[in-house]
Amino acid sequence: MAAPGGPRPGNTPPNYNPNSLADNMQNLLINRPAQPPHAVASSGGPRPSPPFGQQPPPFPSSAPPSSPFPGTSPMVRPGLPHPGVLPRASVPPGGPPQAPLPPNMSFNRSSGPPITQPPPPFGLRPPHPGSLPSSTGSPARPPSGAPPGAFPPSGPSGQVVAPSGSRPGPFASSPLLTGSPMPPSTISSPINNGPHAFASRPLQAGSHFPSTGSIPRPPVRPPPSTISMAGGPPHAPSMRSLYGSQSTSAPPGPVQPALPFSAAAQGVPPPRGSPFSAPPGPVQPIPPFSAAAQGVPPPSGSSPFSAPPQSASQPSGSPYGPQTWPMQPRQVAPPPPPHPIPGSAQPPRMFGMPPPLPTESMAAISPAMSHMGAPMAGPSKIDPNQIPRPIPSSSVILHETRQGNQANPPPPATSDYIVRDTGNCSPRYLRCTINQIPCTVDLLTTSGMQLALLVQPLALPHPSEEPIEVVDFGESGPVRCSRCKGYINPFMKFIDQGRRFICNLCGFTDETPRDYHCNLGPDGRRRDADDRPELCRGTVEFVATKEYMVREPIPAVYFFLIDVSMNAIQIGATAAACSAINQVIADLPEGPRTMVGIATFDSTIHFYNPKRALQQPLMLIVPDVHDVYTPLQTDIIVPLSECRQHLELLLENIPTMFQNNKTADSAFGAAVKAAFLAMKSTGGKLLVFQSVLPSVGIGALSTRESEGRTNISSGEKEAHKLLQPADKTLKMMAVELAEYQVCVDVFITTQTYVDIASISVIPRTTGGQVYYYYPFSALTDPAKLYNDLRWNVTRPQGFEAVMRVRCSQGLQVQEYSGNFCKRIPTDVDLPAIDCDKTIMATLKHDDKLQDGSECAFQCALLYTTVYGQRRIRVSTLSLPCTTMLSGLFRSADLDTQFACFLKQAASEIPSSPLLQVREQVTNLCINILHSYRKFCATVSSSGQLILPEALKLLPLYTLALIKSSGLRTDGRIDDRSFWINYVSSLSTPLAIPLVYPRMMAIHDLNSKEMDESLITHAIPLSSEHVSDEGIYLLENGEDCLIYIGNSADPDIMRQLFGIALVDEIPTQFVLQLYDNPLSKKLNEVVNEIRRQRCSYLRLKLCKKGDPSGMLFFSYMVEDKTQSGLSYIEFLVYIHRQIQNKMS
Amino acid sequence: MDFVELEAIEGLRWSWNSWPVSQADVKALVIPLSIMYTPLMHFNELPLLSYDPVICNRCGAVLNPYARVDYQSRIWICPFCYQKNSFPRSYAGIGENNLPAELFPTYSTVEYQLGKKASTPSSNSNLNHNWGNGLSSSSLSSMMSSSSSLVSSFSSSSLSGLDSRGVGPAFVFVVDACSPEEELRALQNELLLVVAQLPENALVGLVTFDSMVRVHDLGFAECSRVVVFHGERELSSLQIKQFLGIHHMKQQLGKPPAIQKQGFLLPVSECEFNLTTAIEDIHTSPLLMPGHRPQRSTGAAISAAVGLLEGCSVNTGSRIMVFTSGPATVGPGMIVDSDLGNAIRTHQDLISGHATYYRKSREFYKQLSPRLCDSSIVLDLFACSLDQVGAAELKTPVESSGGFMMLGESFESDQFRKCLRHIFNRDEDGNLKMYFDATIEIVTTKDVKICGALGPCVSLQKKNSSVSEKEIGEGGTNTWKLGMLTNKACIAFFFQVGDEQKAQPSSAFFIQFITRYRLGNMGIRKRVTTAARRWVGNHSTDIAAGFDQEAAASVMARLAIHEAERRYVRDVIRWLDKMLIRFASKFGDYVQEDPSSFRLSSHFSLYPQFMYYLRRSQFIDVFNSSPDETAFFRLMLNREGVVGSLIMIQPTLFQYSFDGPPIPVLLDVCSISPDVILLFDSYFYVVIHYGSKIAQWRKLGYDKDPNHESFRKLLEAPELDAEQLVAERVPVPKLVKCDQHSSQARFLLAKLNPSVTQNSTHTDGADIIFTDDVSLQVFIDHLQTLAVQA
Repeated sequence: MAAPGGPRPGNTPPNYNPNSLADNMQNLLINRPAQPPHAVASSGGPRPSPPFGQQPPPFPSSAPPSSPFPGTSPMVRPGLPHPGVLPRASVPPGGPPQAPLPPNMSFNRSSGPPITQPPPPFGLRPPHPGSLPSSTGSPARPPSGAPPGAFPPSGPSGQVVAPSGSRPGPFASSPLLTGSPMPPSTISSPINNGPHAFASRPLQAGSHFPSTGSIPRPPVRPPPSTISMAGGPPHAPSMRSLYGSQSTSAPPGPVQPALPFSAAAQGVPPPRGSPFSAPPGPVQPIPPFSAAAQGVPPPSGSSPFSAPPQSASQPSGSPYGPQTWPMQPRQVAPPPPPHPIPGSAQPPRMFGMPPPLPTESMAAISPAMSHMGAPMAGPSKIDPNQIPRPIPSSSVILHETRQGNQANPPPPATSDYIVRDTGNCSPRYLRCTINQIPCTVDLLTTSGMQLALLVQPLALPHPSEEPIEVVDFGESGPVRCSRCKGYINPFMKFIDQGRRFICNLCGFTDETPRDYHCNLGPDGRRRDADDRPELCRGTVEFVATKEYMVREPIPAVYFFLIDVSMNAIQIGATAAACSAINQVIADLPEGPRTMVGIATFDSTIHFYNPKRALQQPLMLIVPDVHDVYTPLQTDIIVPLSECRQHLELLLENIPTMFQNNKTADSAFGAAVKAAFLAMKSTGGKLLVFQSVLPSVGIGALSTRESEGRTNISSGEKEAHKLLQPADKTLKMMAVELAEYQVCVDVFITTQTYVDIASISVIPRTTGGQVYYYYPFSALTDPAKLYNDLRWNVTRPQGFEAVMRVRCSQGLQVQEYSGNFCKRIPTDVDLPAIDCDKTIMATLKHDDKLQDGSECAFQCALLYTTVYGQRRIRVSTLSLPCTTMLSGLFRSADLDTQFACFLKQAASEIPSSPLLQVREQVTNLCINILHSYRKFCATVSSSGQLILPEALKLLPLYTLALIKSSGLRTDGRIDDRSFWINYVSSLSTPLAIPLVYPRMMAIHDLNSKEMDESLITHAIPLSSEHVSDEGIYLLENGEDCLIYIGNSADPDIMRQLFGIALVDEIPTQFVLQLYDNPLSKKLNEVVNEIRRQRCSYLRLKLCKKGDPSGMLFFSYMVEDKTQSGLSYIEFLVYIHRQIQNKMS
Repeated sequence: MDFVELEAIEGLRWSWNSWPVSQADVKALVIPLSIMYTPLMHFNELPLLSYDPVICNRCGAVLNPYARVDYQSRIWICPFCYQKNSFPRSYAGIGENNLPAELFPTYSTVEYQLGKKASTPSSNSNLNHNWGNGLSSSSLSSMMSSSSSLVSSFSSSSLSGLDSRGVGPAFVFVVDACSPEEELRALQNELLLVVAQLPENALVGLVTFDSMVRVHDLGFAECSRVVVFHGERELSSLQIKQFLGIHHMKQQLGKPPAIQKQGFLLPVSECEFNLTTAIEDIHTSPLLMPGHRPQRSTGAAISAAVGLLEGCSVNTGSRIMVFTSGPATVGPGMIVDSDLGNAIRTHQDLISGHATYYRKSREFYKQLSPRLCDSSIVLDLFACSLDQVGAAELKTPVESSGGFMMLGESFESDQFRKCLRHIFNRDEDGNLKMYFDATIEIVTTKDVKICGALGPCVSLQKKNSSVSEKEIGEGGTNTWKLGMLTNKACIAFFFQVGDEQKAQPSSAFFIQFITRYRLGNMGIRKRVTTAARRWVGNHSTDIAAGFDQEAAASVMARLAIHEAERRYVRDVIRWLDKMLIRFASKFGDYVQEDPSSFRLSSHFSLYPQFMYYLRRSQFIDVFNSSPDETAFFRLMLNREGVVGSLIMIQPTLFQYSFDGPPIPVLLDVCSISPDVILLFDSYFYVVIHYGSKIAQWRKLGYDKDPNHESFRKLLEAPELDAEQLVAERVPVPKLVKCDQHSSQARFLLAKLNPSVTQNSTHTDGADIIFTDDVSLQVFIDHLQTLAVQA
């Protein structure tokens, strides 16, 4: 992990920092397990490992089932548990399985790597990015920089020349390195991983990499995982069929085999460089590698690329092209097809039982359940280990957004993938709940699914991805459709020798501006299409002209507002906030355009003039909290460069100045208003640190919780009202704030009820977010506060933004939801937008779409960067339309769908009784499954619960959602409000962990050979899997609980926490680094998770028998609880409901 | 006896020293019965009694030399109400040969030192409580409450958060942060000087303002802390107190009132460092909009300062000293909007009703007056600006609180420095020479009715049987409040005789002035002046003999400006003329319809001339003044004693020549001559006017030639005299030195009687005045004509 950390910084400067995140984040949790294993296995002669890749899936899951399903995934999941890849690896079974499963492919590659593997460890992350090729050389830091470049080019190279051109610089350098020196050595494991991924993808893709790709492990993980993962699995299924028939699979197969081993080992990739020679043995692999290696690095090489491609093509290439699904499938698919796919695949599926037939779909569940009226029965018949569970996808997936001029279904949002933009935008920016668009409303309605887009316009890219290209059209501004104002994109069709173009959104034909004219090539494309990013990339940024500015781009303004009321002081919140701000000042964007201001408040508001050349800071108190104003016309907000020292001094002094403050009241609303007035002329970010219930002045609130409590006990009739804002004052204020481009983030550091339901209106409306530290601890929370704040100001972000999503004719955006201000229905006004914010756009049909055509979505975000440039980021996604219900199910995107569910449920909570919300959620799930069962399932045994492959985890997630803190009655009102609020802007990759957290054992960290992947495989969230001897870590992206079993080994406890007895567990826990491998490992793991989640996590120790333990077990969503069914019972329940409907 | 001598003993100038018995006769006098009273006049001999006064049980009069005393039974009979009072025990030793000072016939004025348990002349002393109790029990209106706190407030308790013991007067400096940098610098230096010299126990506060008002917390160590009020908001007293956190919590049963520590008003000893830092830290607020005046919220700042003092319950005397260099342009009390395109109102605008903000602003400031009065707060205005600052609007509270007003051109000027230093002068004991929180109570003989008062005072609305129905100025009371007194401050009181006149001519009547005030060291004094005059019959010659022309002119001047505040100037002039004509008809000797026969006796002869100059003065003729200047002049006139008032009305002119010692000459253009130096004193400015020859000589440097010693002396003499004149006055008059025919000579020419104008036929080379104004001679001619017309 360390490595990863490193990279960030490097990248960070610019928007990239994301790197770190990117790296990690993306990795699928699931994957890890796999990797580690590899490492181990791989290293050893284990090459056998290859098997792992393949085998694992089968075995774990129970070989049988897995095999059946191509996806294996379904089954696999289950298998996952084992994931401990190693095990699998070891198991010979792999052999057979491999063949069948596409996954193998990946493994294969690994084989190559094996050798190198050892080294990999270092560069873990970096590798991905830089990914193998160049990376080797680059590994060191640059990973992000160079590597990324490398890939893209390489990938594209085959097809697109342009990219390479752009990148040139980087590549060149990287390549070189790799080529000669480092390559081998450098190739740290990480690299390997990366590479693998790429390699694999490529292969399939048919691009150069192919060869390499094939080798790479990506496949590995995927295979097993594939199944599990939405992306992989789904395709897989489909693939198989296809493949099977086509034989496409074959190609991959062969290749893989060889690779498998090596690949499996580890990041085969890394090795590549050097390894090659060695690995080469593996037959094909070699060539690929070499090719890849060279090719990549030498960006120069288009030629090289070309070469590779060929090789690649051989492998999978052909098949794909033709195939419909090419995209995902390819990668994964290839392997599977090879063999048995079909057959094998299905078997696996059948978890519970049956060998379901369903070729594609799969997960069937023991029918028995249905019968059993009582859940009881069900369970007995169901093998808990075979129920669908998330399977960690392991390696990095290389994803090309379009292949063969077809949209390539994206990998699971939660997986670790690297995108190569080949026309469609990266799924990070735009994801659709279904990757094929139903032609009619009826079709959509029948499916029970919904059609929505999740838009995350500034999403953090993977560090290895190519940066978004900035296009400057000069004074005329970007070319747009004159009717719908859609922006030029790769799907606009040029006709009439390029003199006119047809808008892919509204169908209007426009004249091409004279200076933009270009002749068409024989393929009907403009000859310059590959040279112009806007014509070959799904996402580009246009430099905005004056037309797009109502005023000069605003400076980056940061205003800090700190609660200094008695309580805030006493619990240490003020000190924590000041200290955090003080540290963060250094991280604010440099330059004269960065402005800061600061104010504190209790029952009055205290501004400061930090600019004075005086010995003392000046505090200006605004006492009128009913009608506020800003005390100075100037000098409240000053350029950072002019006041840095004074500001630091001031921040150090604030806690002391107020240490004897006896004012218990807090004028939150008034303070926000006052700060707003100070910022009114520019707009910017307002960061508020609030510790108590706002009790005076504008927007004062009263303690509603107690009333709420009584209501709940007396029948929760009106309980949800407590989750609504108390009144409209804050809402109106928020709208005003938004109008003047002020974005408010609220950091709630409290030990009491603060009525988040009311307060959160402000951040939600202004594009901000709420951070919640409850109960605030001066010991443990300052670190998180600091990290949250730092991320808040350093993450990629923009100001004064307006966003609109346009759709092709026949569809339109019905509604947007997320954190922003709704003023007019078509636009989303965002005072600020950052990489973590996601906006959901639900879609509706207003016409029929034509089968076989493509439907495009274009998200345009006009914003100002922190450096004061006005930009328009345009992401375009073009998806095929279909009239086939099965197509819809096959292309459903579980992660995205579930994120939509989650958001809709969350928005429903404050306005409906809880029971009703739960019922709605359950019904949604039932309806979809019912539709599938009724119209698509090939099996008709009524006793079977049949799940579409792509959505097989829907029941589990639905159950988890019902049990999540937002939908529980026993939670504190504030906790629930926070949850609701947190969800509203939640990104797709974080949606699932929120309800279905990741749990892993950490008592045996040492015993598992560590390889590149730090995160061991996840354990199902069931108390059966929690043993008294163990120590477990559970995280959901926000909180991190460490559970110490009652009989945990004292020695391990001492190593990890510095305590010997469970009873010594401190109530407030700070993770410390002790000088022993175990502790180091734990720290690494935690850091890795932080990076993945872009969140520092609140750590808490839990033990059985006290509230902390209860908290921990409340996350065991698969357990039966007082108010909820166990997973198995829930499946039974669903099944019965479906049966009822059927009959 | 000469009126001036009498004044030196009594401190009183009576327009009429003998009063007719009947109301009708009084009316016929034309000039009202009035007394110009200088409460704290400096007397050569003033007994200071260290015990409390003995008070009549019925009418509240203080024991005085006119009381009849029965030594045997130790009883005294009040000369006002004839009530028999027994002496308190401490007067046990009283006897014909053992009189307390207050009974000495020569001591028409005595001063008591209250609150000290010192020994009485006779013996022991437990004297005090009567007086206080008496007063407070008799207090009626709520308005009175603060002043009836006389007793209680002194001993008391009301200073929130402060130990009242040993607390001195409070000063709140209200500083305009829009002043230009150099101005501000000069002001800061002066303020620092003042602060350094304040007594340790004096309380200080600091308020600065531009478009916002900042009240500085002087008790906060960690940083400079200020509470900011929005300059555009008009806040109630309660709101200000709440915002400052110094409001008194509602007292809950059984709990002592919550006392909050506040740092806005602290003894100098506790906050000197913070205060000086804060003063040094004041910076000129940047001008945000070019082409606009700075944004000044003077009104809000003053209102905040008042709120602060109210909140701290300092009602033992406090001053709000406003230093500004421009007009208020925002918020309550704004004078003009900040756009320079709009000029500040002129008299013409006021008359034509074009002064947009005038009325509202004046109203705002007027409403401050009672609050100032209730809390014994004095409002001072130091305006140093080349343009107007809104003194006209601010005049009411400044005047009624007894505050000081200065209109200067720059804080760097000597004038400003001298004023400020003068105000903070200390006496021999180191106490500030400031007399706070004064009240004047008048006790009269039954047939004398009190109509009211004109001057820097506020009626406390305490009515009793001696209060007349007819009100003049601050009427309807026998007690007035004065926020601040100086040795010179003079109040004009107006009287009326009762309807049912029972008094016999030539019997005596009495008027007693009881002035209670607080010294700079917060000690309380009570000065009691008892005066006796006689009733006279209708045509008694005593009436003429008792007419004090100077006092009458002063009184009429006050009445005139009082009217001028309410009416159009031309009406006031008409009124003055009418009064003068009636007066002339009444007291002149003439044959009907024969102007040439008109004569006035020497008792009345100067009066018409005073009226002539009054009509021409800047008080009435506002032609060349801005409203601010007019307000200032009137305010000064309204508190000046008879002598000073006369100088304002009819300036003095002395001639210095080789012929002998300086001699007063006619205030006439004829007095200008090339070979003399004229020293002109109009109170507000002093002009030394060098005749053209003298100027030439000086230019040639003869004064430096030992051979012309006498010339040097001639040059020196008026300068020395001028300096003397200047030194005694506050605000310091402007000193103008000019040569004949120079532009500055206009200061002199404007005031001279234009006996020779461009229209005159015989100009023998003497100066002339270009004007269409009538000369004194013409004026008198007309008067005679009109006076004799029945």
